[in-house]
Amino acid sequence: MISTLAPTGTAPASGMTEASRRRAMAKANRVVTFRIKRCDGPGKASYWQDFKVTVPKNANVISCLQQIAANPVTADGKPSTPVVWDSGCLEEVCGACTMVINGKVRQSCSCLIDDYAPNEGDVMTLEPMSKFPVVRDLWVDRSRLFHNLKRVQAWVPIDGTYNLGAGPKETPASQATHYVLSTCMSCGCCLEACPQFNEIPDQGSKEANEAAWNSAFIGAHAISQARLFNAHETGKELKEERLDVLMGTGGVNDCGNAQNCVKVCPKHIPLTESIAVIGRQVTFHAIAKFFRG
Amino acid sequence: MSHSVAAAPDQSFLDKNYFLIRRLHSLTGIVPIGVFLIAHLVTNSSAAWGAFALREQLPGVNATADKGLAYFWKEVMWINTQIPHLLLIEITLWASIAFHSVFGVYFAMSGKSNTNRYSYQSNWRYSLQRISGYIGILFIFYHVATLRWGWTFLVPGGTKWSAEFAGSTLAAAIQGSENGYTFGGVLVTLLYFLGVTMLVYHFANGLWTAAITWGITISAAAQRRWGYVCAGLGAALMVMGWVSILVFAVVNPGLTRELEEGLQKGHSSLVEPSGNERLARAVRHDDELVVGGMNLNSNRTSKE
Repeated sequence: MISTLAPTGTAPASGMTEASRRRAMAKANRVVTFRIKRCDGPGKASYWQDFKVTVPKNANVISCLQQIAANPVTADGKPSTPVVWDSGCLEEVCGACTMVINGKVRQSCSCLIDDYAPNEGDVMTLEPMSKFPVVRDLWVDRSRLFHNLKRVQAWVPIDGTYNLGAGPKETPASQATHYVLSTCMSCGCCLEACPQFNEIPDQGSKEANEAAWNSAFIGAHAISQARLFNAHETGKELKEERLDVLMGTGGVNDCGNAQNCVKVCPKHIPLTESIAVIGRQVTFHAIAKFFRG
Repeated sequence: MSHSVAAAPDQSFLDKNYFLIRRLHSLTGIVPIGVFLIAHLVTNSSAAWGAFALREQLPGVNATADKGLAYFWKEVMWINTQIPHLLLIEITLWASIAFHSVFGVYFAMSGKSNTNRYSYQSNWRYSLQRISGYIGILFIFYHVATLRWGWTFLVPGGTKWSAEFAGSTLAAAIQGSENGYTFGGVLVTLLYFLGVTMLVYHFANGLWTAAITWGITISAAAQRRWGYVCAGLGAALMVMGWVSILVFAVVNPGLTRELEEGLQKGHSSLVEPSGNERLARAVRHDDELVVGGMNLNSNRTSKE
């Protein structure tokens, strides 16, 4: 049975959640089928392959992929190649291992099999994110995500030839608002779930790809980071330049308010609030530009 | 420091005016289209509740249903004879609807529905906003073309709508004939229910998203509160829309026409000619032209 369970992070904090109920009933050393969408390289056709994995208690997707890599034989006994995936921190702070698990995007390192497939014979489906070009199997190229952060100059401009001294002070209240925004790990969940952020086929060159990315929706992650750095006392210096980009083609106006981003964000960043804040900033920015020039 | 993403020299007209077009798209949905929608549904539904708003006793109009139809008829006549610059208002509306439609379809094309995977309520509303827009465009075109522009070949039964017989011609147009329902009429009525439902939803949900777009509602709590307001307005408009269609789906076109003829004859003050007509008649000496208590035609009439 394929589970359609939501990521555990979105479950209510109180009471026994569906995930914790499954976790409690999960049997040790059960055999779970991993149905994996594979791809041998960029531009090649995808295909599905099943692997049977003996799952101990508290296993996560990565540890099961390691088992498959150690013994890459499909469910029907045919030798195959190890499934390729990307990962880094293994503690849900780097975002590299993001993939589509049972139809929904999340990090695979923090995805416990017990929550999704507690019974013998349960099926887990793993797919690469669909909005980015596949490098191989579950590994995607997220360059566009990082390029879009560059579009809004999502940083504090401190590079120079002399010491700028200590940074400005921040109140505890603004710190509380900014901290959660700063936890964004650029994983791509918000983009994968967004109906306005869609795959752009390879344009043939880096320049052509970047030009195509520049006119498509920038994504909730970049809008939220622009909000963070627009609020930063030093980051403010680039506020007008960020807003110029965000009021243009592919900017904040391209948001369709489906609000999937905020629901799939593993860091619970108030992305829809950030979108509204930037909406307000571009409104005032546009009025100011109209009258001031 | 600045990136290559700043204004490229070969930008298209759309790219150069992107913000303006996006925000005009948002604004036109509220003013004038949304405001007109409210006024339109209030007027149309008055056929149902008009009996309670009618301020005078009309000869031969006694039943509650007749009073409602009489009130509706009065309202439509007032709109069509008294509102200044009516054609200008109409052209502004048509232009706004065309603009909102063309760019709405263009913008919607950049999205790709994914409710199959992310079946959140807000995601369904996103998809329905686009579907309701497409259906709404087709419905408004049919509605305006048949009832306002007189494209009677699109009306089963070929009824031509007129303000003097607003209720009876509307009933005949949506029932398919002047003698009651035909198969074509059933289809037209269903189209009206679908079209009105979609458009009211589109307006209510659009009002909710516009508040985010313009940066009026910021926090999730504020968005939820404004959501209740939009849902309340949408529910009220939905009831008005459905009731309007229901009234003209059930009234007898023939009897309604008799009522309207009676209203025109028996209560001529209701068919007050417009200012221009009055002036024209006065100039032709048919009528007395009274301005500021002075009869401007009195001398000439007495000489003749």
